[in-house]
Amino acid sequence: MFSTGFKYFMGMTVLSVAALIMTLFVFDQVALAGVALSMLIVAVALLAGIAVVTRDGYRQSGVTEQSTDLVSQSIWPLVTGIGVVFLALGLVISSLVFFVGIVILLAALAEWMVQSWSERASKDANYNASARKRLLNPIEFPVLAALGLGIVIFSFSRIMLTVDKSVGAVLFIVAGALVLIAGTLFAIKPNMRRSLGAAVCVLGALGIVAGGVVSAVSGEREDLELAAAEGHFTHKECGPEESEYFDKLKEETLSLRSSVSATIIYQDGELIANLQGLDKPQKSITVSRSSATNIIFRNATEGEFRLVVDLGKPKTENDDSHNDVDCTQLVETGGEQSLTLNIAKSSSAENHYKLFIAGAEDKQIEVVVP
Amino acid sequence: MNHSAKHLYLKRLVTSVLRMVGKKSQTLFGVSLLSFIAASCATNAPQDTWQPKGPNAKLIDDLQQPVFAVAGVIGLIVAVAVIYSVLKYKDRGQPIPEQTHGKPALEITLTIIPALILAVVAVFTFGAIFKLAKTDDTEMIINVTGQQWWWEYDYPVQNEFGITQPIISSGQLVMPVGTKVLLRETSRDVIHSYWIPALNGKRDAVPGRIQTLRLEADKPGIFAGQCTEFCGLSHANMRMEAVALSKADFAKWVANQQAAYVAPEKDSLAQQGEAVFLNQCVRCHQVNGLMRADGTPAIAAPDENVWAGAAPNLTHLMSRNTFAGASFDLLSKQCRDEVWNASSDTIGAKYLAGVSQDCLNQKDLRSWLRNAPEMKPMYANPTQLEATGGKYRGMPYLALSEDDISKLVAYLLTLK
Repeated sequence: MFSTGFKYFMGMTVLSVAALIMTLFVFDQVALAGVALSMLIVAVALLAGIAVVTRDGYRQSGVTEQSTDLVSQSIWPLVTGIGVVFLALGLVISSLVFFVGIVILLAALAEWMVQSWSERASKDANYNASARKRLLNPIEFPVLAALGLGIVIFSFSRIMLTVDKSVGAVLFIVAGALVLIAGTLFAIKPNMRRSLGAAVCVLGALGIVAGGVVSAVSGEREDLELAAAEGHFTHKECGPEESEYFDKLKEETLSLRSSVSATIIYQDGELIANLQGLDKPQKSITVSRSSATNIIFRNATEGEFRLVVDLGKPKTENDDSHNDVDCTQLVETGGEQSLTLNIAKSSSAENHYKLFIAGAEDKQIEVVVP
Repeated sequence: MNHSAKHLYLKRLVTSVLRMVGKKSQTLFGVSLLSFIAASCATNAPQDTWQPKGPNAKLIDDLQQPVFAVAGVIGLIVAVAVIYSVLKYKDRGQPIPEQTHGKPALEITLTIIPALILAVVAVFTFGAIFKLAKTDDTEMIINVTGQQWWWEYDYPVQNEFGITQPIISSGQLVMPVGTKVLLRETSRDVIHSYWIPALNGKRDAVPGRIQTLRLEADKPGIFAGQCTEFCGLSHANMRMEAVALSKADFAKWVANQQAAYVAPEKDSLAQQGEAVFLNQCVRCHQVNGLMRADGTPAIAAPDENVWAGAAPNLTHLMSRNTFAGASFDLLSKQCRDEVWNASSDTIGAKYLAGVSQDCLNQKDLRSWLRNAPEMKPMYANPTQLEATGGKYRGMPYLALSEDDISKLVAYLLTLK
């Protein structure tokens, strides 16, 4: 007699084999899917074998009699249907909709399956309900909380992008103060009704979401729109003087400390390169072509300086009057900034690359791209 | 329990287990065990993690041997206990035994013992990790860049090793013995992982990051490796070899890599091959010093044709023993065996001899030039390049004639 466990795993094996055969017919390249399905077939077939040897799940433990009275109405068939619709629409509209359809479908099927199982767990409807909660609440609560928080945080970010910077600071202070007051109240009066606390939180969240919707509709504040239009960081001004836009919001901290290819130091009027693994300062660095390479510029000289990288002739054939350049912002004494190099062509007589200090072109580090 | 009683008990236990599993299962188990033991006796295992050939790999080996022994014993105990329980207590319709809960003394003991074992292992593991992460005693650095599905090596200027101009190579990493080499790894496309088991552990090569890995070889030799981070269709074909040469031989290798380009003889087949190379191959592959007919240097543009933005530099191709991401040998089987099986005293000279016409693996090289994607899966179908903006991941089919292939082979043989 085949056990229930065996039937389950054998069913999965047959379905996986069918999926593999369909994949072979439908797709041109089956490398990844083929390997994945083959591994699945091996795994579930093995489990089926173990199940039949050990007769696992043969005997039905617990109650086998079910009552249709215990079966309640379910919204999950409806949600599953919605998931299928999203899935089908996604095939036509976009991969994002398709992905949402998959998420809805999987979530609804999981909920439906657990509900169906829990309603047959015993003759006691209360026990069945608690069994369902015990299984699903640890998943449902964090997911719903994450979704809710995500919506609130996103809405709050829309508000902060719309209001003036100083108003934003005030909003932060007010929000923090409200949280502090609410926390203090709950601490002082622990017997306060839970529904009151929940109502305060829900109202606060709804207020933020409403504010976020209004802010998203009205758009970002003027200086952010201006910054986007001016392209502060895309149209860099790499001269020795302070530029109007590029140097407006100078980086004052540097999180990128590890994983840099070289540290370029402007010290005692000299430009040197420190490479991890080499003791002595270098006058050239090697950069792998077509590969994003991070370097750090450290200004150890009195005054503000920027590091510029000369990237050779521009890609456009019509414009050979000047070389392409990229640069850091002006860096104050003792300050650091990172610069990412990505050079596609190897060094040659035509493509000569170098790092130099703006306004002091004789202070150079050669960039070799082999 | 005295010794004979224990012996009797164990005998009964084994007998009862064997009786339970049945003769067919016993046979199956026996065959599996024999296969497992036979597999562990393989002599041709160049990527064996149990045979360290350098101090870094030895450090790992000294750690993993005792840990493996302890883990093995624990694993065996657990496996036997599980199998015994499954077979002994399988459902035969017997009543469910009384369920008990809570044995504080046992639970505390079973928590403390693993914790102590893990604490001891952790002390030695952290010690080894910190030693392997050291970079301040580096003697030589080599930049290693991974891309689908080959490794590029570039040697920055290091005058103390005679490297006065950057050297670029691929497939085989050449290094001097007894030298603390620091690899600075990165990637041009997806995450790869560099692993030469005989010389050290693995290190991921991540786009936009520089990760370091120490290598040092005790004796001259060739050590095989394999990308160990799944990186796409031909991940299994992304191999590498580290070639450790004596310091004198390494100096010769450096001198050869920095030698100027020598154009093929006039009116030779190789010269015709150079023309084919300029017409076809130079779109992606760089040969340093190669000039076009108009006297301008031939600069490859892999960034315009290849998704990763790079293709192997072929300047001294025939000084290497492999091609196509070390997937194929440039040497014929006999010549390859002569190099791989050479003693540590003679391997340097044999390796530095490079690939001669007699030793060339014509079959694989010609097949590669004839239709590369047929030999190594590379998403190189021109009708399926939408995702990469029309760029190839790997070498495409070039529709070369047999005549052109012969010319190219003759030209490539000159690139020593």
